[in-house]
Amino acid sequence: MNKLKLNEILQKKFGHENFRDGQQEIIEQIIAGKDVVAILPTGMGKSLLYQLPAYLMEGTVIIVSPLLSLMQDQVEQLKLLGEKRVIAINSFLPFQEREMAFRHLADFKFIFTSPEMLQNEQFNRALRELSIAYVVADEAHCISQWGFDFRPDYLRISGWIHSLKAVNVLALTATATSEVVKDIKGTLRMTKPFEYIHSLDRPAIAYEIVEVENQQEKMNWILGRVISTEGPGIIYTQSRKKTEVYATMLREQGISVAYYHAKMEQSDRILIQQQFQQGQLDWICATNAFGMGIHKDNIRQIIHDHIPTSVAGYMQEVGRAARDGNQAIASLLYTSSDVEQTFYVAMQDFPEEQDIHFAYQEEYSEVEQAETTSRILAYWKEQLNEQQTIQLFKQIKQKKWQDIQSFYLMIRNDSCLREQLLHYFDQALIERPHHCCSKCKLNVSSILRKRTDEKYRQDEMNWIDRLNILLPS
Amino acid sequence: MHFHQILLFIIHKISGQRSENAPYYLLKGKKSGQTIQDVTYFQLHAFFSILPQLSKEDYDEAINELFKNEFIRVNESLVYITEKGIEILPSDKEPLFNGWKYRGKEQLFWKRIDLVIQTLSQFQANEKKFVPNQKDISIQHFVKDFLIQNNFREFNLNTDIKQEIFYLLENPSFDDLHRTLFVYRLSGYKTTGLTWEQLARHYHMTDLNIKIIFLECLHSMLDNISIETSPRLFNLAKDIRIDTPLTESAFKTNSLFEKGYSIEEIAKIRKLKINTIEDHVIEIVSNNKNFSISAFISKEQIEEILHLSNELETKKLTLIKQRLPEISFFQVRLALTKGEKNS
Repeated sequence: MNKLKLNEILQKKFGHENFRDGQQEIIEQIIAGKDVVAILPTGMGKSLLYQLPAYLMEGTVIIVSPLLSLMQDQVEQLKLLGEKRVIAINSFLPFQEREMAFRHLADFKFIFTSPEMLQNEQFNRALRELSIAYVVADEAHCISQWGFDFRPDYLRISGWIHSLKAVNVLALTATATSEVVKDIKGTLRMTKPFEYIHSLDRPAIAYEIVEVENQQEKMNWILGRVISTEGPGIIYTQSRKKTEVYATMLREQGISVAYYHAKMEQSDRILIQQQFQQGQLDWICATNAFGMGIHKDNIRQIIHDHIPTSVAGYMQEVGRAARDGNQAIASLLYTSSDVEQTFYVAMQDFPEEQDIHFAYQEEYSEVEQAETTSRILAYWKEQLNEQQTIQLFKQIKQKKWQDIQSFYLMIRNDSCLREQLLHYFDQALIERPHHCCSKCKLNVSSILRKRTDEKYRQDEMNWIDRLNILLPS
Repeated sequence: MHFHQILLFIIHKISGQRSENAPYYLLKGKKSGQTIQDVTYFQLHAFFSILPQLSKEDYDEAINELFKNEFIRVNESLVYITEKGIEILPSDKEPLFNGWKYRGKEQLFWKRIDLVIQTLSQFQANEKKFVPNQKDISIQHFVKDFLIQNNFREFNLNTDIKQEIFYLLENPSFDDLHRTLFVYRLSGYKTTGLTWEQLARHYHMTDLNIKIIFLECLHSMLDNISIETSPRLFNLAKDIRIDTPLTESAFKTNSLFEKGYSIEEIAKIRKLKINTIEDHVIEIVSNNKNFSISAFISKEQIEEILHLSNELETKKLTLIKQRLPEISFFQVRLALTKGEKNS
């Protein structure tokens, strides 16, 4: 495959002049028919890796994605690029549409699907008739039980790939320790894959750690920061109630802000995302439900009012800033008692020994457990006996506690936070950016711009004017 | 109409005849014989199934408030409206809902029109790539077909649709609030609609009341769409009205009646209780006044029951049944349903 051809497609289909680091290498390997594991930080053009080779190869690309909300977004992004031959086949697809899709699978160039669907016999029969270019395992860290976002259903991809025979696999993730990479390679039955590990460092993001005495001080700090400096920004917190409290507090000071959490109606969540993306809102106060599929390049601030439950999750949330490459800052506020709170949050849906014992009883009904818990238990029930499962969960719990403790230690010690975050993923810092982290002396005021906005006020509502704006004459 | 007004309106109609939970099942659209027959008895078609998401907590809270303000009282598990309650009933306002007819399908109409406006707005700004607010594939397909059939690139579909919306919103039974909510929920080029919470905050109202008024607007618009005055929107409202608003089970029972089976035979065939089939009969009669009930009750019996109901000023089955021991509960219900349907 010559370089010219690749660049031509890059320009014509995707509107980019140049490849980013690593993209071309990876794409060439895919086209050459190699298995590939690629680890790139969020916002570094992961989607292009599975999208572009499709235009130089025969057959259909199957993308397995464990996060349904993300799948919807990926389909929309491809459609925005003008690609019509794309479909998401998952449990949300109405029955008739699904039947229709199965009959016409070959019409699609990109088929997104969920791990659950891989067990659907009808779907598999239709797939066997298909010429497959390659299979993509997206968010591949979810395959590993050591990953922060383990999805047991995803493990079923192993047998499924085996049944397809001689198909190439591309595994993509933004966060993976070497332990997780090992799991990914094993589960996906990869033989001598090409591995591309991009530095997970985001030099445009400076890290700021602030220890405070109590919750009230956090509020005051956030208020002071948001009133005096420019967004756009996201404030992450752990409870739905708090997203609303923060939003109300900031709105009273004339900030254009909204809250966002999973309990809101879907239509309202979509509207908030759109308003933020279009610049009608400056700040979002959110739980970790916010962020997936947000396409906003100019986020300048990410504020955490807590210690996140995992380093990988933290990197993902912080990584939503500075997509445009301009300077941004990630601030983390904590008190000395937050670490217990975080462990409590992390363990909320975690099965106790007794839950596991119940799960192995004959008259067990799954309704008694949180949804994710019951799915995880249902999986292990097939694989292990009761004692083994109990042991396994003890190990996972212990590991979780260690993870949170070590994150806490990273925050508190005197070493460079950037280096420690990278070290967690077995990477080394290559070049220290000018604005590094608060432990390397950080001049915050030189990063943030002073807020110049007038106070935000809601305009009078006039339905006739509004209708004329929507549909001008 | 606000939530409290709706509750008072319903309680006014069932005062002294039903428990304080009856309005809850009505608003939720419970498909039980009792609820469905009450719709007809008390002429409550407007409110049936308008709030399928309503939680019992929210409902109880509202009822308690009415109770505290002495707008209603409860006696021997029956709910009554008080003098004070009657005074604050909105006298000039009729509810604009038509829950019985739309049964939540108005949301389908909303999703279609939302996506149509978003698409037209984007195309008019020549920004043809955008992320649709409506994710449902069947909605997307419907709208796509609609736009293509209406030649949206060549003709003035925008102008037509805008005019039709203007025409429908200028409806004199609307307040400006109805109109504003409808238009501000819509999205278009660089103009994103507002969330329920944002609208509620602007008007210092609860989310629930905002949603209720929005729903009133949708129902009333749908009522007024006709092929003559709003041909474009008429096509968007396709299959929104329920022509035979029977529950699925009652529908099956109805087809067996049409084949000439008796209640007992149908119960046997469908492996259901006689009571259930009787519930279906009530539902069918509520919907179809031509359905013959002569096999279950005589004309004289109907008149006797209706007369007694008038005399006692009640629709309580037990009271009527006490005075007419030879008549069954089913027959009392049947007569009352038929009576309302003919009045």
